[in-house]
Amino acid sequence: MSIGILGYGVYIPQYRINKAEYVKAWGRFAAAGIEEKAVPGFDEDSVTMAVEASMNALDHAKVDASKLNAIYFASTSSPYAEKLVSSTIAMALGAPPRVSVADFTSSTMAGTSALLLSLDFVASGRGHFALIVASDCPYADPGDFLEHPLGAGAAAFVVGEGTPIATIEGSGCTTIEALGERFRKHGEKFIETLGIPAYTQAVIMNTVTSSVKALLNSTGRKPSDFNFVVLPQFDGRLPSGIARKIGFEETQFVPSMIVSQVGDAGAASPLIGLAKVLDEAKPGHKVLVTSYGAGASSDAVSINVNEEIMKRKGAVSSVKDYLADKKYIDYIYYLKIKKMI
Amino acid sequence: MAHVSIPSYWKTLPQRYCLIGMKCKNCGTINFPAREICISCKQKSEFEPKKLSGRGKIYSYTVIAAGSAPPEFSEQEKLAGSFPVAIVELEEGLRICAQITDYEEEDLKIEAEVEAVFRKIYEEDKVIRYGLKFRPVKKRKSLP
Amino acid sequence: MTLQKVAIIGVGQTRFGNIIDKKAEELFAEAFLEAVNDVDKGIDISEIQEVYIGNSGVGGGQLGNFSSLMTDYVGLTGASALRIENACASSGFAMRAAILAVSSGVCDVALAGGEEKMNDTPRNRVRYWLGISGDMEWERLSGMTFAGVFALMAIRHMHEYGTKREHLAMVSVKNHKNGASNPKAHLQRETTLERALASPMIAYPLTLFDCCPISDGASAVIVCKADLAKKYTDTPVYVAGHGGSTDRLSVFQRDDVTSINSSVVAAKRAYKMASVKPEDIDVAEVHDCFTIAEIIAYEDLGFCPKGKGGKLLEEGQTEIGGKIPVNPSGGLKSKGHPVGATGTGQIYEIVNQLRGSVEKKNRQVSGAEIGLTHNTGGSGGTTVVHILKR
Repeated sequence: MSIGILGYGVYIPQYRINKAEYVKAWGRFAAAGIEEKAVPGFDEDSVTMAVEASMNALDHAKVDASKLNAIYFASTSSPYAEKLVSSTIAMALGAPPRVSVADFTSSTMAGTSALLLSLDFVASGRGHFALIVASDCPYADPGDFLEHPLGAGAAAFVVGEGTPIATIEGSGCTTIEALGERFRKHGEKFIETLGIPAYTQAVIMNTVTSSVKALLNSTGRKPSDFNFVVLPQFDGRLPSGIARKIGFEETQFVPSMIVSQVGDAGAASPLIGLAKVLDEAKPGHKVLVTSYGAGASSDAVSINVNEEIMKRKGAVSSVKDYLADKKYIDYIYYLKIKKMI
Repeated sequence: MAHVSIPSYWKTLPQRYCLIGMKCKNCGTINFPAREICISCKQKSEFEPKKLSGRGKIYSYTVIAAGSAPPEFSEQEKLAGSFPVAIVELEEGLRICAQITDYEEEDLKIEAEVEAVFRKIYEEDKVIRYGLKFRPVKKRKSLP
Repeated sequence: MTLQKVAIIGVGQTRFGNIIDKKAEELFAEAFLEAVNDVDKGIDISEIQEVYIGNSGVGGGQLGNFSSLMTDYVGLTGASALRIENACASSGFAMRAAILAVSSGVCDVALAGGEEKMNDTPRNRVRYWLGISGDMEWERLSGMTFAGVFALMAIRHMHEYGTKREHLAMVSVKNHKNGASNPKAHLQRETTLERALASPMIAYPLTLFDCCPISDGASAVIVCKADLAKKYTDTPVYVAGHGGSTDRLSVFQRDDVTSINSSVVAAKRAYKMASVKPEDIDVAEVHDCFTIAEIIAYEDLGFCPKGKGGKLLEEGQTEIGGKIPVNPSGGLKSKGHPVGATGTGQIYEIVNQLRGSVEKKNRQVSGAEIGLTHNTGGSGGTTVVHILKR
């Protein structure tokens, strides 16, 4: 018996809007490296997406919801600014009333924060099984180019004692104070930026690079040790910049890229990226996952893939399955179902 | 306008969120929604919760045309136009009434296999009412 | 106490339709006064001891002491009065309550009636109000409407018995044809099969022409002990049988959605009490809130075997001149459906049919001796059936 990831699952809503629709509406699509992005249906939100990803993860982990001791929800787009939604998810899954819950909000880093804390929850002996689910569909003003890359999706991980498909080797973190890159004031629906790209870029690069370095130092790893690297995917260009700076090859980070088809899924992106590489990973592989949250902080997590993963392959719908199941919508319908007109 | 009040809705959340039926200890019939007198043996029996699979088939259906939906759903019809509602016969044999979502027109037929999905049903007084809809079986692979 | 036989001595009905210039009590008064005047040898209204009035709402809401408002307005203060709410079957059950009051011996003369005003209410409020008579918690909260619930029955009826959309449209065409000659009908115009089929979809497979209109109106019926009837009129119509029943409120919980069990049971009871069979019925007013409901009613009332409702229409058997003319008034579809007033409105029609006093001869079913009314509440949660004899 050891502690680690027992299973995972994702959910990506079926609607897609492509680049051409934005070009028709705005003359350009201000989202580098994104071809299309996922859009939640009118009856979906970060909570409903979380429920489906969580059900997949529980099935994949072969853990019954009644066994869960903790549920952590991570999102920048919880439908409630105040009111737990992890409780909603708990009931929808059939978790017992004694389950401990928390909503991790207000940062695109919330997914990895929740993942790391869930490991601590289990390791500390507070419970045997924790479910963390990152689910997000960030909103920005449609008149703002910042809106263009915003997509949607969810990824859930079951962490606990058993025969893990993957174990956490270590993590690193860097936190600095940064202002004005991506933010949403209390009571606002839309994220904003002061629009100083060079500054934003520099803050992200430095923070992520620093957290990766912290991880490499603490684990004694070097960049080439990792078969897969998941880098922040706010657009399709950022990962290659970060990779270059740290010294990762394309073959390491490209397999995790989901932004070109899903868009920026906020707090869910790093974990959907992780799910995608785990779909392909073999026992013995090493995965590095990074996240970034404006304000600013970055987590870097090193994960070892175990033998058990082979037994769970194909048990639930993969990232690829969800990416393949899609229905294109036009820009007007997009605005309608995102309730932006 | 809150006709099904929040406390009433809240009382039925196990049914609305995760399809908990109540199995009559006297005759074994699953009552959904819950009752005090069993629908089958008509006895005041004890009931035990039974989670239903959420898989089933369309027994009958209709498509509520835009402009005729109940007011709770006027926002939905504004956003998404007409919408299908079906009677779904679950694997366990009982039937429930729910919307069909994420569908294509050809999915709407009697006997079509559907599965439950957790969705927003409607919003009233700013409170989101979540519950279950059904969609054509195609996506989520489930373990046996 | 032995059960008294009951006779109908006077009937009245307003025109059904969009009646903006009359308040609820004024509408009721119009129907009431017509019923009083219809008692050809005259009646002192103080003889009316028991009053039952069907009503679903006023101004899209509930009104406390509705019955007292009505009795006060028409000079019946002092009578015992009761508002009866059984959705679309409210006044059908009001009729049954009046019959029971007389037959029990509690009173000699009773009044049944109904009143509904829906067209003075904002659209959203009407939609809200229309939906409250079915299962609120599960059907309504799936976005279901009344048309939707009957559409579920239609789809299943089509699936099991090969009923077609054309059959639904045939009900509409027939009832519009009848209603076109009814000066009290809401929609006094004929339609064609093509037009009915091509009209806008409301809840697939039901189009606008498969749905009854939202009407205002009132109706009233005066009943008395049968052995007193001749004192009031030379042409009493006798209550031969009646029956009421309920079914599961939610359609999805019924074993068979192609039949409304409350209709089957209520009819069985009424037939038994009247000692008649379905084939003895000469004319019927049935609850065609949606066209499929009329087809299902044929089967539930025994006018044809299960699943053969479409065939009965094809053969024209339910037209005036057919084996069993149904809805010669135009039915809810064309005559209109002021929810609370519909049940006693059906009695009004059948009484006139049995007396041979229908205003226009092309609507008169000649030589009718036994008539039936069938009034269903909501999606079949309640049904009341009356059998009347000349």
